[in-house]
Amino acid sequence: MRANFIFSEVWIGLRRNLTMTIAVVVTVAVGMGLLGIGLMINSQVSSLTNFWMDKVELSVFLCGKNDAFPACKNKGAITPDQKTKLKQTIEAMPDVQKVDYEDQNAAYKNFQDSGGNSILLSVLKPEDLPESFRVKLKDPDKASAVEQSLKGQPGVSNIVNQRQILDSVFGFMGKLRNMALAIAILMVLAATLLIGNTVRLSAYNRRRETGIMRLVGASNVYIQLPFVMEGVIAGLIGGVLAAVLLIVTKILIFDQIQMYMTAPLSWNTLAGVITLTMVVGVVICLLASFVTLRRYLKV
Amino acid sequence: MIHFDNVTKVYANQNRPALDHVSVDVDKGEFVFLVGPSGSGKSTFLRLVLKEERPNSGAIHVAGKDLAKLSNFKVPHLRRRIGCVFQDFRLLPKKNVYENVAFALEVIGKPRRFIRKVVPEVIELVGLEGKAHRMPEELSGGEQQRVAMARAFVNRPMILLADEPTGNIDPATSIGIMKVLDRINRTGTTVLMATHDAAIVDSMRKRVVELEDGKIVRDQSRGVYGQAY
Repeated sequence: MRANFIFSEVWIGLRRNLTMTIAVVVTVAVGMGLLGIGLMINSQVSSLTNFWMDKVELSVFLCGKNDAFPACKNKGAITPDQKTKLKQTIEAMPDVQKVDYEDQNAAYKNFQDSGGNSILLSVLKPEDLPESFRVKLKDPDKASAVEQSLKGQPGVSNIVNQRQILDSVFGFMGKLRNMALAIAILMVLAATLLIGNTVRLSAYNRRRETGIMRLVGASNVYIQLPFVMEGVIAGLIGGVLAAVLLIVTKILIFDQIQMYMTAPLSWNTLAGVITLTMVVGVVICLLASFVTLRRYLKV
Repeated sequence: MIHFDNVTKVYANQNRPALDHVSVDVDKGEFVFLVGPSGSGKSTFLRLVLKEERPNSGAIHVAGKDLAKLSNFKVPHLRRRIGCVFQDFRLLPKKNVYENVAFALEVIGKPRRFIRKVVPEVIELVGLEGKAHRMPEELSGGEQQRVAMARAFVNRPMILLADEPTGNIDPATSIGIMKVLDRINRTGTTVLMATHDAAIVDSMRKRVVELEDGKIVRDQSRGVYGQAY
C-alpha cells in the first residue's frame, strides 16, 4: 500500500468536488456542534439534578392565628398537641428521612438571609411568617405521595413541593436539549446524504481510473480507500469546526450562566463531548462512503 | 490455461443465451483468435475469463483456478495474471506514457524501484522507446494501443486478452500491433484475441475459434477468418 498514492487521489477528489466537500464539512460541523451542545446541556442538567435532588424538601406550613388558607379558616393556630402529633405522623412515614421544625423566628431569619425584597422585609415581622416542618425525603420522587397524605391533616395550612419548582426549570432545559438533539439528528441525516452524493460524484469522475485499477487487479481496498478517505477527511474537518464551535459555546454561553449553575461545565466534560462528536462524525462519514461505494463502484 | 466446460451465460432480461454450452481449451503459450460477428459472444467469453461475469452453468478454469470457487476477495489476484487490451485503449489522459504503464504496477503496490526498472523495458518491447514522456493525445491510435499493450504486459501476465485491439486502427498500423502481440506471445504468454478483422486472422495463421449466436461453430488450428463460408 502506497500512502502517497492514496493521499494524492484523496486530494484530487476533494478538490474536484470542492463545493460538495464544503457542503459536507459545514453540515457535519453544524450537526456535530448541535449534538455536542445537546450533550453539554444534558451533562449540566444531570449535575444540577443531582445537586438539587439532595436538597429538595417538602415544606409543610402550619396554620397561624389568622391564616386565610381554607384548611385553617376559622380553626385558629395549630395547637401544640396537634403539632406533636403531626410531627410523629410525618416521622412515621416510610419515605421520610428527616423532619426539621422551623419556627417563626427561624423563618424570619431565613427570609432575611435569602436577600429577599427589602420593602417587604421592612413591614414583615416574625409573627407574620408561618411555622413549618421541613421534610426531607429518602427518595425525592415520592414527594407527591407524601404531599397527598399530609394534605388535610389538622393544623396544616399548605404544602410546597420544591421539586415542582425545579421540575419546571429542568423541563425547560430538557426541551432545549431535545431540540438541539432533534436538529442534530436531521443534520446527521443531511450529512449522510451529502457524503453519499459527494462520493458518488467522485466515483463517477474517476470511473476511468477505477476501471483500469480493476482491470489490472488492484485490490478492493486500494480502489475504495481514496473515496472512503475523502468522506472521512471531510468529516474530520467538520468535526474540528464543531469542536471550535463547542469551545466557543462553552466560553460564551455556559461560562456566562455559571452563576446559576452548581457544577461548572468542566473542560474535561467538554473534551469528552468533543471526542464523542468527532467519533460520531467520522463513523457516519465512513459508513455513508462505504454504503455509497457498494452501490456505485462495482468491484 | 483457459478451460471452458459446457459454459452457458444468459444475461438478465434476455432470452437468448450469449454463450450456449461452450467448451474450449486454450493451452499455455497458445495464440487464439476468437472470431464471429457482433453479438456472437466474443466479449462475453472474455468477460467470463476475467470473472467480470458469472456463467449460469458450466465450469471455467483460468490459470489452474476454478472461477466458481474463487472468492471475490481473490478476483483481483486473478486479474493480475491476466492482461487486457481494448479497442478504445483506455489510457489515462492526464498521465504520460511512462505514468500510464507505471500506474498498473503502482495500484497493485509494487515497489518504486521495481517499477523504474521494468516500465522502460516494456515500453521498449512495444516499440515506444523515446516516447515515454509523451501524453496520450500526442500519440497516434497505433501508438496509444502500444501503450495499452505495455500496460497490459508490464506485470508479465500469464494470459493476455485483447478485445478488438485493431478495431480503431488502420490496416497498416494494425500489422505493427499484431507484431507486438506476437512478440508478447513468444515470451510464453497465452494470447486470446477477439476480432473480426479478417485480413489479420488470415495473415497470422493461428488457431481460430469461431462463435455464432453463442455457439462454437469452428475451432481450427492455423485457420483463416472466413473458411467456413
